[in-house]
Amino acid sequence: MRIERIGREPDYSRYMDLKEGWLDRRIFSDADIYEEELYRIFARSWLFVAHESQIPSSGDFLTTHMGEDAVIVARQPDGSIRVMLNSCPHRGNKVCFADAGNTRRFVCNYHGWAFDTAGDLKGMHEEYCYDAGDIDFKNHGLKNVAKVGNYKGLVFATFNSDAPSLEAWLGDFRWYLDMILDNEEGGTEFIGGCIKSVISANWKFGVENFIGDAYHAGWTHDSGARSMNNGQPFPPIDMQNSYHASMNGHGWEFGTEGVGDLVLLGRPKVMDYYNKIRPKMAERLGEMRSKIFGSVASASIFPNVSFLPGISTFRQWQPKGPMQFELKTWVIVNKAMPDDIKEEVTKGVMQTFGPGGTFEMDDGENWENCTTVNRGVVTRHERLHYRCGIGREIEHDTLPGIVYRGQYNDANQRGFYQRWLDMMTHDEFGKMPARPEPRLGNVAETRDLPGLFAL
Amino acid sequence: MLDRPLAPPPVEVIVAVTQALHREARLLDNEDLDGWLAMLGKDVSYRLELKSRRFRADRSPPLPLGPGVIFNEDLGRLKMRVDRLKSGFVWAEDPPNYIRRAVSNVEVLANQADNEVRVHSVLVMHRNRIDGTTRLLTAGRTDRWRSEGSCWLLASRDIVLDHSVMPDSNLNAFF
Repeated sequence: MRIERIGREPDYSRYMDLKEGWLDRRIFSDADIYEEELYRIFARSWLFVAHESQIPSSGDFLTTHMGEDAVIVARQPDGSIRVMLNSCPHRGNKVCFADAGNTRRFVCNYHGWAFDTAGDLKGMHEEYCYDAGDIDFKNHGLKNVAKVGNYKGLVFATFNSDAPSLEAWLGDFRWYLDMILDNEEGGTEFIGGCIKSVISANWKFGVENFIGDAYHAGWTHDSGARSMNNGQPFPPIDMQNSYHASMNGHGWEFGTEGVGDLVLLGRPKVMDYYNKIRPKMAERLGEMRSKIFGSVASASIFPNVSFLPGISTFRQWQPKGPMQFELKTWVIVNKAMPDDIKEEVTKGVMQTFGPGGTFEMDDGENWENCTTVNRGVVTRHERLHYRCGIGREIEHDTLPGIVYRGQYNDANQRGFYQRWLDMMTHDEFGKMPARPEPRLGNVAETRDLPGLFAL
Repeated sequence: MLDRPLAPPPVEVIVAVTQALHREARLLDNEDLDGWLAMLGKDVSYRLELKSRRFRADRSPPLPLGPGVIFNEDLGRLKMRVDRLKSGFVWAEDPPNYIRRAVSNVEVLANQADNEVRVHSVLVMHRNRIDGTTRLLTAGRTDRWRSEGSCWLLASRDIVLDHSVMPDSNLNAFF
């Protein structure tokens, strides 16, 4: 499947110079660029659609979006997961208005066309009105996506039949992802529901904040830090032993002190839990990753998923026009945790990064006004500064990716926008440069690599 | 069961509790947060549970650990939130937002405990933010108010927000 837009602009490189470290603000506000993002990025990337734990049983479904395309994600009787457009092929009406649930059929409200959970058309109201030859049931189901993939519980889908495998798409980032998805036997699950909120900001501001912007925390969240920590501000960052790592637009910024985000979560029992399993985590993931997990850290998966490992908020920035996104947030926990620890994690997430959380409450307004100021025609032609730490790239024996030293850095943000530019520019995935060349190759397991990344 | 018919509370009680709801809204609108905290019982519970939009005939079982709660606060946590707002470091509230709460549909019902009433009410919250945008939030509330000495204190509040997608970037305000 390839869906192209007529008359697209050929050259997006004039909107940024990442070697110099600047971006043009129009990429955060221009309606034509936004439309092109829907074609070039959202219709071609692997996009997160669900955690498998949200739909454990046959007939379980949830509704979400891939870009602005509404989709249904449904568990099949054989245990597989299908992802299909939430739009009836007859007149186009949405066929499912629930957030989630369990069903045998999706029935369109307009003419009663009925589909099973695989999307196959099974019947309709007053079926006799169609003569033989009027309709081919086989070709009038809900359109399925090109590919569905599952990486350790995270379910992704893509409209792009030419997309590389999900493993290749995630690439070396899997080495980092395993810290949140595979730090304990049994993997992870989402608990509780999904919180949705609408924010009048460009979706990329959410992604870039989580991919690398540790820098904002000490200032933006000063009130939250002080109220949770007896009036004390955030401690200073250790610029020597903290890093940015970027791989094909995915990025993780992190310390190596092991506790910073767990302290922020503010639930001592959760800290105790992780301290207890940390030796096992070190056996499982190696010494380095067991020290990274729990540190002050944040991460994004290209193009629009973010999370805080240790704090356990998991979120997606769903584009709704150049100046709006819908934020969906969940709580992710290890399945093996006892229920009381899971409940402690949920409490901690809501108290910090829920919509009423002491940290979350400070962010939205910043992103909104970073976006809406660009309604001004003069303002939108001004450049933005992305040069922080531009000379601090290092080679690291253990850490995969393009690695920069010092957590206060714009490196991962630059990596994200580089990938954005690559996708906006190149027609073929094969022609897009690897940034950087992967170390892992296509191995299925990143957890048991033979000593390659041991400290 | 709580809904068994009990004699309605005396008119004086209904007036006093209704007035307490209005006073509470005015104190919060005026950012008299200590005044508001003084209206809360020591064991206050303040909750906002998460909802999800489901078909009426949905067949799925409830989530094992519940739907999740956005607010699950006790007095200590509410005090912490107030401390944060008073810290002088909440940039998104400076200059102050204009917030106005309208309390309506107040229904005061007798509770089994003699010194308590159950109260249903509707809250409409208008927030005019520092960048000039206005958001309107509506919520239903089910409270328990307790008479202690000469005043009525809020013992518990369950908030139901009437939005499946929150029309605001945060819930940095008390309901």
